[in-house]
Amino acid sequence: MNQVLTILIIGAITLVGNWIGYKVPILESLPGIALLAVITLIGMGFTKILPFKSPVIVWISLFAMIATSPFFPGSAYTAAAIAKINLLALATPILAYAGLSLGKDIHLFKQLSWRIVVVSLVVFTGTFLFATLFAEIVFKIQGKF
Amino acid sequence: MTEGRVNVFKLHFLVLILVALTEFIGTKKINIGIGVIALFPMLYALVLGGVISWPSFKFLKEKDMNVAANILGVSFLLFVCKLGANIGPELPKLWGAGVSLLVQEVGHIVGTIILGLPVALLLGLKRESIGATYSLDREPNLAIVVDKFGASSPEARGALGVYICGTLFGAIFMSLLASILGSSGLFHPISLAMGAAVGSGSMMAAATGSLAVIFPEAQQDIAFYSGAANLMMSIIGTYVCIFVSLPLTQRLYAWLEPIIGRKNASSETEGGQRSA
Repeated sequence: MNQVLTILIIGAITLVGNWIGYKVPILESLPGIALLAVITLIGMGFTKILPFKSPVIVWISLFAMIATSPFFPGSAYTAAAIAKINLLALATPILAYAGLSLGKDIHLFKQLSWRIVVVSLVVFTGTFLFATLFAEIVFKIQGKF
Repeated sequence: MTEGRVNVFKLHFLVLILVALTEFIGTKKINIGIGVIALFPMLYALVLGGVISWPSFKFLKEKDMNVAANILGVSFLLFVCKLGANIGPELPKLWGAGVSLLVQEVGHIVGTIILGLPVALLLGLKRESIGATYSLDREPNLAIVVDKFGASSPEARGALGVYICGTLFGAIFMSLLASILGSSGLFHPISLAMGAAVGSGSMMAAATGSLAVIFPEAQQDIAFYSGAANLMMSIIGTYVCIFVSLPLTQRLYAWLEPIIGRKNASSETEGGQRSA
């Protein structure tokens, strides 16, 4: 119940962001946000009733893909409604909550050595850079671009 | 219970204000010579949120911040749902990108080790370097290391260190990195979009956001391919971490440490544990 409420509140905040930042009137974004919330909640519920542990992200992605693929009833409407919600409007609340949680780690951070900070930045760079590089190489070999 | 509720609504209200304010300010691009830095609402929201939660201000309690971290996870689910909904209408495109999706995932997995492990060893880290560099060290990865080596092991210390840095400035760093790589002209936006799916909600949102600002005409493709790569990561990520990344890092550590590891005070105190 708690998580249902949380999803609805985040949805409402996104409506405001999508209106102020991307000029989509709130009423026009409403169906898209409602559909996103419903699919997300179905995915969360499905993960809970499964007899084994699995990443909730997989099910939500899968259900969202199914609901918007051409063979699914009403997919054109669903896809068009969700397309009205700007990706960045959904990302801003994530990082706002992230910001509000930062303070808790500052005292832990002060105890770290500078070495681990450097290593962290190298690790972040490594995963992004190598995945990008490998994708680029494959696309080049395939002649896609 | 009532008190817990009040705190949650205080957080939601703060986020609403942050979202409204930062979306109103909008996107700015700054050319710094070596590339274009994209500044956009989510970054302002992150920084302003960080200021609000700064411990000395005593505006938020640690309990509030923990709740905020939980809600962050829930809000990422809506983002993931949007990415999935982006893939559905063009599902066949996924097959066309199958090979590169698989190969880029290898890049995500080995990238942390290839670049991170040598640097960690050169800086004089010992077994900490295994935990620090075998993955991006988000929550599930941290759990794997603690499970295998114990919470007070050097490996877990290393993993926790990278975890803390990731929480504190991972998103900002990824968005800078995406800006720099994006404006370097070396990579196609689609490759960058796949690279941006690093397996952490806030870091991925920030990196994807930067790319969308730098390549506005490719926004649809960026969402499509980073969504697909993120799905790939979430399906195989944990298993690969346990059965491939961690053993691989341990092997490489055993091989590389005697060659480039620094002989300093910390190697003497921990050298005895190396064979453990």
